[in-house]
Amino acid sequence: MSASLRLAAVVATLTLALAAPAPAFERSGDRKILVFAGRQEVPTIDPSVKYDWSIRMAQQSLYDALVKYIGNPPQIVPWLAERWESTPDAKTWTFHLVKNARFHNGDPVTAEAVRFSFARTLKLNQGPAWMLSDFLKEDGIKVLDDSTIQFNLSQPYAPFLSFLPWWYVMNGKQVLASEQGGDLGQKWLTTNAAGSGPFKIKRWEQGVLYELEAVDNYWKGWPSKDHVGGVIYKIVREAGAQRAALLRGEADVVEGLSTDDFDQVAKMPGIVVPNFPGMTTFGIKMNTQKGPTKDPNFRKAVCYAFDYDALVKIYNGHAVLETSPFPNATRGHVAVPGIYRQDLAKAKEVLAKSASPNGGVELEYVYVQGLEEERKLGLVLIDNLQKLNITVKMVPLIWPNMVARGSKPDTSPDMMAVFTTPVSTDPDAVAYQYHKNSWGKYYGSSFYANDDVWALIDRARTTPRWEERAPLYAEIQKRIAADAPEIFGMLMNRRWAMRDHVKGFQFSPVRFTGEVDLYPLAIVAK
Amino acid sequence: MLGYVARRLALLGLMLFGLLCITFAISHVVPGDPARLAAGPDATASMVETVRAEYGLDQPLSVQFWRYVRGIASGDLGRSLRTRETVGSDLLRYFPNTFELVTGAMLIAVGLGVPLGILAAVHRDTWVDHLTRVVSVSGVAIPAFWLGLMLQLLLALDWGLLPLGGRLGLMQAPPAPITRLLVVDALLRGQWATVADAFAHALLPMVTLCFPALASIMRVNRAEMIETLRQDYIVNARAQGISDVRIVGRYALKNAMVPTLAMIGLRYGWMLGGTVLVETVFDWPGIGLYAVSSAVSSDFQPIMGVTLLLGLNFMLANFLVDLAYGWLDPRTREAGAA
Repeated sequence: MSASLRLAAVVATLTLALAAPAPAFERSGDRKILVFAGRQEVPTIDPSVKYDWSIRMAQQSLYDALVKYIGNPPQIVPWLAERWESTPDAKTWTFHLVKNARFHNGDPVTAEAVRFSFARTLKLNQGPAWMLSDFLKEDGIKVLDDSTIQFNLSQPYAPFLSFLPWWYVMNGKQVLASEQGGDLGQKWLTTNAAGSGPFKIKRWEQGVLYELEAVDNYWKGWPSKDHVGGVIYKIVREAGAQRAALLRGEADVVEGLSTDDFDQVAKMPGIVVPNFPGMTTFGIKMNTQKGPTKDPNFRKAVCYAFDYDALVKIYNGHAVLETSPFPNATRGHVAVPGIYRQDLAKAKEVLAKSASPNGGVELEYVYVQGLEEERKLGLVLIDNLQKLNITVKMVPLIWPNMVARGSKPDTSPDMMAVFTTPVSTDPDAVAYQYHKNSWGKYYGSSFYANDDVWALIDRARTTPRWEERAPLYAEIQKRIAADAPEIFGMLMNRRWAMRDHVKGFQFSPVRFTGEVDLYPLAIVAK
Repeated sequence: MLGYVARRLALLGLMLFGLLCITFAISHVVPGDPARLAAGPDATASMVETVRAEYGLDQPLSVQFWRYVRGIASGDLGRSLRTRETVGSDLLRYFPNTFELVTGAMLIAVGLGVPLGILAAVHRDTWVDHLTRVVSVSGVAIPAFWLGLMLQLLLALDWGLLPLGGRLGLMQAPPAPITRLLVVDALLRGQWATVADAFAHALLPMVTLCFPALASIMRVNRAEMIETLRQDYIVNARAQGISDVRIVGRYALKNAMVPTLAMIGLRYGWMLGGTVLVETVFDWPGIGLYAVSSAVSSDFQPIMGVTLLLGLNFMLANFLVDLAYGWLDPRTREAGAA
């Protein structure tokens, strides 16, 4: 090709590239590719190492687990395990695997692969290991035959099953073949998968985009003939750019828009905004070990002074107030009678019983820098607590600094705005946030201390029968609420914006904010 | 001249070590527990300790510093807690993107700034001069992120002329790396569609980034040209009947460009470290974004790696400017030797 022809070709292509708007969804051959514009990177997909919403969305697509969370309210359904049973003391759990599951390389999914995966996660002691490591040791995992695996726990643990959807099964042979310097395949699994999930990796451009391709002969089959042929997860870091990408048809699904943006795009033709109450709680944690908020009456006064309706207004009505320390979708949730709502007379009454009966103190309110809703809530606090002669100093911090501040009783601020998403629907996942063992974690920044409640939590998690556990959790919720370690705020609705040709979206509140189960999604072009 | 170069190089090495010490100190005194963040929000104390030990964060600061210095001497910049890759490989992935962005932006800035500066000087106090003044004041005054968003909204969203962001179209596979510079690699491999797509994606971020540099180059060039055009030898040339185009292009510009070139060098080094906002708005996977993502995760090794790389760039730019001055003006060399 001559130089002038080459130049002409570049100019022609450039003109086309400049002029042509992107199609509504991408195509690769006869495959319809869904484009998901998300703000968060997927730095690793190793199931034993890390999870957050974007990582887990990828892991869930590439791997299968013994069981899976589906629906709203979330149900645990069989997946790699077709059935299971546990002993009455909830110490021994036996799972029977399906016979037709295959890893992407064609190897069968066996009990040995399950054993390897659990043992690897426990050994690496990272990612989801904390969920089971107190109860399950490597030698407690027994392969009974090719398709039967048994877990012998060191003590009864009723929530065991509720964590299993996040323990993905890896192909041990593939992982060990890729081991480098005894790293159990960590380096390789950062950007490669050894799973049996509905998708496999097609492209992995770190920090740019990740492309998954649907596995045509997925062992579980596909729920729709129009299922997506692949998914491109493109990193779009600015909410404005995400919105623009959706409107321009460059993205089919976006997450993380502002409240106002979601409302705006919901009114536009061709765009739908699924809107469901989630399990993510918003609370303002108060330091129960130091300063004015050490006094329970003072904390209660703050709880009664707070304008709860403002929380819902800030989210344009797309939120519901908490009626208990536990999210509504948590098993065993009870609406605590007399949960705090704004009542200034009551606030003054309980404040009078505190060490600061006339107020006259300043409280520090720490929130995530740049998070507009939390800033607005700070302004609400300033206004509300002024009526008790309490001043509020707003301190915006970046998240790592907030975590650092909240990790010790001495440094934890008087009030800290915290969103928390429990990882399972079992009440233990929330109750344990108030246990002493959660001190130092961001959701433990109130350093809540109540020996009776801690004993109840310990008892409830090791009690096998739900009929006996349920009343314990009801009691735990009431007692925590009575101690007022935080302003129990609201449950923000989960929202995504998507083009209306995207079908099959299934919401489950147990998934993290932004996380979508890609498996049931379909594209039905008009 | 050789002695002068050796002295400057020694100073550069010293400055680099100083930068290394300062970066390490700052990274380790800011609040935040990188191990806790890397281990995840639900991690138990033992899990946090596992990460701490894996990355050597359980060692005393002096040991960590010594390991870090020793690592750098052997080309090892450490490992990122966030990406789990070595910092060196991360920099190799992201820096070429920033390099291409900045180089492209600088080419636009020089390509437009120098002629506009000449025009403004030649047509001093006319509408041309006033118009370029508006451009230069705007270039300095308008924040890059705002300009980027506006260009994005207008040219990409409303008019649909250019892509919103990113480096390449979604279905466009990048060329197999040769130099790791995407456009260069696409050219070398003859992937013309990729070249065109890459240009289309690069246009808005480059224009956004070039604007402040364009303004400075234009103003400096204008001022120098005005000064040069007043010189006796220019008056003499005019008296001899040499055409204005020849006087400006051949005699005046050469002398006026010396300070402009020095400024371009410094500006280039500065721009390499100032791409964060533009990269964020346009999802340009460059070193600025990498640094910010690392900073918000308290991931210190990449922050130190990026700082060192950018510091080195800046110092090299300064070094080259120093050399240029030394070469052009022998008095500078003598002053340095004294």
